[in-house]
Amino acid sequence: MQKVLAIMLQTLPDKMTQPVYADNASVWHHMSDALHQSVYRVLTLLIAILPGILALFVAVTVFTLIGMAVSALLRSGLSIAKFDDYIARTRANGDWAPATSPTAIIARAAFWAFVLLGLIIGVSAFDASYATAAVLPISLVPYLTHAVGAIFILIAGTLIARFLARSVLIGAVNAHLQYARFLSLGVKWLVLVLTAAMVLDHLEIGGVVVELAFGILFGGIVLTLSLAVGIGSRDLVSRSLESHVERAGEHVAVPPGSASPGPGETVRHF
Amino acid sequence: MATADSISEISASSTPHGPGLLVLLANMPAEDLQDVLANLTTSYPAEGLIVATTDVVPTESWPNLRVIPIPETPASWTLTAADFLNAYHLASENNARAILILGPGAASLRPSALRDLGDAVIAPTTDLALPCYDLPPHVGLVNSAILYPLTRALFPSRARFPLAIDLGLSLRMAERLAVAAQRFTTVNQESALIWPNNEATVAGFVVNEFAVGRREIPQPTETDINAILASVTGSLFADIDAKAAFWQRPRQVPPFRPPAPQAPAPDTAPDIGPMLDSFHLAYANLQEIWSLVLPPHSLLGIKRLSAASAASFRMPDALWARIVFDFLLAYRLRTINRGHLLGALIPLYLAWVASHFNITASGTDPERHIETVAATFEAEKPYLVSRWRWPDRFNP
Repeated sequence: MQKVLAIMLQTLPDKMTQPVYADNASVWHHMSDALHQSVYRVLTLLIAILPGILALFVAVTVFTLIGMAVSALLRSGLSIAKFDDYIARTRANGDWAPATSPTAIIARAAFWAFVLLGLIIGVSAFDASYATAAVLPISLVPYLTHAVGAIFILIAGTLIARFLARSVLIGAVNAHLQYARFLSLGVKWLVLVLTAAMVLDHLEIGGVVVELAFGILFGGIVLTLSLAVGIGSRDLVSRSLESHVERAGEHVAVPPGSASPGPGETVRHF
Repeated sequence: MATADSISEISASSTPHGPGLLVLLANMPAEDLQDVLANLTTSYPAEGLIVATTDVVPTESWPNLRVIPIPETPASWTLTAADFLNAYHLASENNARAILILGPGAASLRPSALRDLGDAVIAPTTDLALPCYDLPPHVGLVNSAILYPLTRALFPSRARFPLAIDLGLSLRMAERLAVAAQRFTTVNQESALIWPNNEATVAGFVVNEFAVGRREIPQPTETDINAILASVTGSLFADIDAKAAFWQRPRQVPPFRPPAPQAPAPDTAPDIGPMLDSFHLAYANLQEIWSLVLPPHSLLGIKRLSAASAASFRMPDALWARIVFDFLLAYRLRTINRGHLLGALIPLYLAWVASHFNITASGTDPERHIETVAATFEAEKPYLVSRWRWPDRFNP
């Protein structure tokens, strides 16, 4: 009896705990397996795309170095050839004069062209190596190529917006328009909104929503500017038209802000 | 107008021992042309002048003139690169010893003025004969504010009208100007401006100035002052930039020239209100752009100026000189787009004009004030040289 009890006492807890222990081990085992499989998949994916990433970095680095060399060569070559002087002569009366010298612009353009070329080639190599090795579809890769174009659109749009804003501001001030800053800001935001819409469209983000929002914003800004100019400068426009009709055929180099000469005297700047 | 021959080819084949003076006339109405020819005949009665003109001239009416027809050039209110190139080619082909170029409106020049300019360059003592016009006080203000003071400070010459439209040129001066002009004409910039005084000074040629009295100054064909000011000032800035190695060295300025007699100022002063409005509008809007070009000290001066009333509006000469120098430096450094830069200068120029009118209305002789401004530019030249050499140095 004692033996039976002893066996029961020994075996019962075992029987009671054994299934619990067996369940825990199974969960941990499953979790471990799942984690191992996940890590394996991640590592497999990494190994699959590693050559592509490496190719991307190598392509960008090599083309950046080539770009630096070409840029330096162009800079020295054009300086020796006095390219800036030539451009200054050919564009002596031109309206467009860049803020930096033509040589510097060409050298920088060559450098960034090589960087861009490296990026394109790198991304292509990355895309190709990934496509051959990948099993899962990924939507990020096309964005890489589009992102490069979008960045360039953004930079160009920002530069154009700043240039146009300054042109409008100075022109409006010299035309004696009181709302010069407002006009300049309007033009700047018009171009920036257009740029933002182009960037989003290029990245295929938003779809119809962006087009709709852009249309509303662009139209709103144009309407605001039209109303502001139309209502605010009604008198100015009519005066300008009247004076234009009166002075048709005359050539007087007098700015809007210049003095109006009295009888018997003239103010001439040239 | 530019011919295909290069300057070197012509200079090799030409002989400088010609009979006399070649007179190149700009396009002008028929009655003006008759007046100019009459004045030339009065000035040089016994000498065989060679007159080059685009207009048809009956030779029997002017027996002592040898008239050469030349192809028509684009109408311009001032002398252009094509004119200088043409003048040298014609002088070389006709073996002339010197050239007299007469711009539009030359009919208003006296015969004695033509004689002075022509004789000066026929004699071997002068290479460039510049006229000093007697203009009304409110005419040629860009010249008085920028062109004359800047030229005088950097190229030691007291030529009052560096962009004169009547010139006497020796053959070697004409050749130098033609070489300068050819750099523009080869790239189809026939209407580019050439600065004869600067070229002559750099070459070490003799420049003399002659009082020619009153003259009718032609109006620019362009009506927009913004475009003309940008074109003229930009051209001068570019020329100064190209000749930086010359003017940075200290040189002796010619002796003081007493101001030319001027017509008395009109009783009624011009209304400076619109100019001040333009300046105040620019002060409210263009500070961001000015701050890229001007140092804090100049900005402070402009701020003080903006607070001045119309009656007490006076721009200090030193402030104006530094503003022009800073814009010149920004033009060289391309701190901002050059079109924007020259556009931003216009309101400041109008402020100077308003200040000039106020000063002259208070009894100061306009010509004396302009001479004072030019002298201030000379005094401030070290500032420009310093900033030109070390543009990044701290400049309060």
